[in-house]
Amino acid sequence: MSESLIPAETLERVGEVLSGPVTVVIDRREAQRYAYAVGDENPIYFDEVAAQAAGYRTLVAPPTYVTHAVVQPRTASDLRTDGLYREGTRIRLQVDRVMFGGEEWDFLEPVCVGDEITAIVRLAAVDQKEGRKGPFVRQVRETTFVNQFGDEVARSRMIGIAR
Amino acid sequence: MNPATDTGAAAPDLETLEAGQELPPMHKFPDEAQLFLYSAASHNPHRIHYDREYARFEGHDDIIVHGPLQGAWLTQFVTDWAGPGARLLGVTWQNRASGLPGEELVFSGTVTSVDSQTGVVELDIAEHTSDGRLLMPATARVRLPTA
Repeated sequence: MSESLIPAETLERVGEVLSGPVTVVIDRREAQRYAYAVGDENPIYFDEVAAQAAGYRTLVAPPTYVTHAVVQPRTASDLRTDGLYREGTRIRLQVDRVMFGGEEWDFLEPVCVGDEITAIVRLAAVDQKEGRKGPFVRQVRETTFVNQFGDEVARSRMIGIAR
Repeated sequence: MNPATDTGAAAPDLETLEAGQELPPMHKFPDEAQLFLYSAASHNPHRIHYDREYARFEGHDDIIVHGPLQGAWLTQFVTDWAGPGARLLGVTWQNRASGLPGEELVFSGTVTSVDSQTGVVELDIAEHTSDGRLLMPATARVRLPTA
C-alpha cells in the first residue's frame, strides 16, 4: 500500500456542502441557446406543442443543461491563469494534478422552462485507488437539483482523478 | 427539423428490441465556432477551449472539445434514437481523451438489456474519432413508452 495522498482533514470533509444552495429559474432563451450550441435541435426544446405532445408540462431543457443554468455570475478578476474561477472551498490532497474523470447523471424528473431549481454540491467521496501508473485519488462531487415542487429532478456526480 | 432525427428512422419498438442490437451512429463535426458558442452558453471560461497557445502550453495538441459538450452529444445520441415519448433516466461517461476542432466524432451504441415490462433499456455507448481513437466510453438508461 502506498502512502496516503489524502490528508485526514480531507477525509473528515466527506459529506460536507461545497457550494450552494443556489436557486435559479430555467430561462427559455438560455436553455435554447444551450441546445443550439450543442447542435441538439430536438423539437421538445423549441416547440411547446411538440413538448406537450411528448407528455411534458411545457418546453423542456436539454438533460444536462441544469448544471450550467446554476452557474453564478462572477467577476473576471476571480479568474485564474487557466481561465477557471478560484474556488471558495478547496479540497486538500497530496497530488500534482487533478483531471476530469467523467460524470454520472440520474435524471429523475423533467426540467421545464420556468421551473425554479435549487442546486447544492456536496463532497460525496474521496478514495485512494491503485492504478497501473501508481496510486490516484478519486474524488466525487455530487450535485442535487430540486424543483419548486420539492421533487429531486436530477443528480450529477462529477468524478475528479488526482495523482 | 432536427437534422439528427430527420432520417426517417422510426423510434425503437420495445416488442422487437433486444440486447446486442446496434444504434445508428451519430456524427459530429465540432469547429472553433461551436466550441466558442458552447463555452458561452455553458458559462465555461476554461482557457483550454479557446486559447490555442495556452492549450498547447498545458500539453494538448490544440484547443479541446469540452467534456460536458461531448456528454450533451451523448444524451442527444440516445434521445434522438429513443424518440420524444421516451425518458432518459441516466447516463455515465468517462473522459479518456480529448476531441479537437476539425475532427469528425462518431457516437455508436449497443443495447445491453431490455425490460419489456417497464420499458427500461440499457445501452453501452462509445465516442470515437473517425480514425478510431476512443474519447468517451459511456452508458445510458432510457425508458421507452410501453403499450
